[in-house]
Amino acid sequence: MFVHIRNLAFKYPNSKDNTINDFNLTIDQGEIISILGESGSGKSTILRLIAGLEMPTNGNIMVGDHCMCSNSSFTQPEKRGVGMVFQDYALFPHMTVEDNIKFGLQKWSRKDKKNRVGEVLELVNLEDYRKRYPFELSGGQQQRVALARALAPKPKLLLFDEPFSNLDADLQIRIREELRRIIKSTGVTSIFVTHDQDDSQALADRIVVLREGEVAQVGTAQEILGTDCNFADRMPVKPRVLSRV
Amino acid sequence: MENARILGSSSWRIYFRVVLPISRAAIIAGVSLVILEVLNDYGVVSYYGIQTFTTAIFQTWFGMGDLQSAVKLSGTLMVIVLGILVLERIARGRRQFSFTTTKVKLLQPVKLEGPKKWYAFSFCMFIFSIGFIIPVIQLVYWATMTYEQFFSQDFWQLIWNSVSVAFIASTIIVIMAVVISNFARLNRGMLAKTFPKITILGYSIPGAVIAVGVVTLFTALDRQLFGFYEWLGLEPTLLISTSLFMLVFAYVIRYLAVGYNSIESGFDRIGTNFTEASRMLGMSVTKSFFKVDMKLIRGAIFGGFILAFIDIMKELPLTLILRPFNFDTLATKAYQYAVDEMIQQAAIPSIFIILVSGIAIYVFHHVLEKE
Ligand SMILES: Nc1ncnc2c1ncn2[C@@H]1O[C@H](COP(=O)(O)OP(=O)(O)O)[C@@H](O)[C@H]1O
Ligand SMILES: [Mg+2]
Repeated sequence: MFVHIRNLAFKYPNSKDNTINDFNLTIDQGEIISILGESGSGKSTILRLIAGLEMPTNGNIMVGDHCMCSNSSFTQPEKRGVGMVFQDYALFPHMTVEDNIKFGLQKWSRKDKKNRVGEVLELVNLEDYRKRYPFELSGGQQQRVALARALAPKPKLLLFDEPFSNLDADLQIRIREELRRIIKSTGVTSIFVTHDQDDSQALADRIVVLREGEVAQVGTAQEILGTDCNFADRMPVKPRVLSRV
Repeated sequence: MENARILGSSSWRIYFRVVLPISRAAIIAGVSLVILEVLNDYGVVSYYGIQTFTTAIFQTWFGMGDLQSAVKLSGTLMVIVLGILVLERIARGRRQFSFTTTKVKLLQPVKLEGPKKWYAFSFCMFIFSIGFIIPVIQLVYWATMTYEQFFSQDFWQLIWNSVSVAFIASTIIVIMAVVISNFARLNRGMLAKTFPKITILGYSIPGAVIAVGVVTLFTALDRQLFGFYEWLGLEPTLLISTSLFMLVFAYVIRYLAVGYNSIESGFDRIGTNFTEASRMLGMSVTKSFFKVDMKLIRGAIFGGFILAFIDIMKELPLTLILRPFNFDTLATKAYQYAVDEMIQQAAIPSIFIILVSGIAIYVFHHVLEKE
């Protein structure tokens, strides 16, 4: 087991009930996990807890051999070696694509930096866009830059918050195949969050269904979406995408 | 408003039923700001011989040398100010955050035609004339009568005093405002919430009250430090409380809110996403601030600096009370000429206040354009 999350609980100071309640999950190295849940079910909150942007009220998180947080310790987000692709990408508007990617490589030598930027840009197919600023890119390109930026420092774990929510529907279908290819080729363990079961099905090795801050079901796409579908009747069903990688 | 128009209300009805209620918070905030400014004012009321709390504090203190009574008057005035602030809160009520959508669409300006155009124009022109054009013409006229007496060493000293003190205080203000608002936005909890509120309070406190407080504080501090001065081989005198340090300190208390508001709105605009992204890429909070946040709110920082600078340039009551002996600024000089019945001579320093402020605003816009 590579990632170990145990008894995780969290409450925003201005809310009455726990936002996350006794969340448990283990993830293998290189696995792609999808957290599937309705809007407001606490998906982003879980990512923020794993990232270290929020401090849990209870529970612990282990990544590799390192304890990220427990009831007695807390590792700051910049020390965790966890990468994140934000829902709105959060590319630094005052930096070029290249500088955005280099941002996470501050401790690397100049030459290594340059090589690494080339590598990740090749991976996301954006070699010709080095010198562009984020506002000069389309939504899909921005997302790929955000992915390249998160991959560049070679994180142990990569988090995606609703990676497709800002993309057109047809782009969404193309990109998620692409995304799975890229993630699998780097072998990075990933968690991505979505409210769309087609996304989960197309991308993930395993799906975690989240309901009101608690795990409702865990399993492969087949096990969860294929059979009884007690999740599907609570969500507007979209036309399924049949092609799978 | 556009909704109301689509629903078919007439313009007047829209004005009274929709625009006024929505703007209530802004209107009340405006009114209380004016009241507080009037309570703070010293120059105008003392020139026209009107008795206010501020003038009374000056008289008991300087006229009668009665610091005790001045402190009491200040206390009373503070109670009134706090009362106004509380009333403002109540009047604004829950309307403080009155928008259900986060993105408030900017109103489409309506192009006025025919006589309406001229009504609107003359109204604005009228206010602008009374408030700015006519006084400036008068000042320029007076200035032409007296300018020979001015362009001397002393006058440049005056400008230098005003500009340098304002510059130092504004710099301190901006640095403090950045640190406090950055702390407040990245942390939750009591401290992060109350700190900004205290920061802003200074702007509501009349200058005379701040002056009384600061003098009391620093004289006490000096007394405490007498031993230390002797140990350093200095005369045991009132060292700090006769220095520029005290004046700058008071400016910072009073105008911190001006810088703070500008910088906070800059932070509000960028949110915390970029900071979080930066931390996920291995930068600490401090490094993130210098590499990301500061670059993104440069305009707001600069704007806060300029606003504080202009406010300090024209500040009177604090400066009058707290300036070191023989230290004059453009504002105190203009005031002195005015009370000495030499209103014509007051014109030149006044014009220079307007001029320096004008240059500051011009530079500000110029820098913003380039961004
Ligand atoms: N900063 C916050 N302060 C208070 N409550 C919050 C905050 N962010 C989210 N919440 C609440 O926590 C719950 C879960 O939110 P979130 O994790 O963003 O859900 P999701 O990403 O699944 O849509 C929601 O009910 C939301 O209202
Ligand atoms: Mg979310």
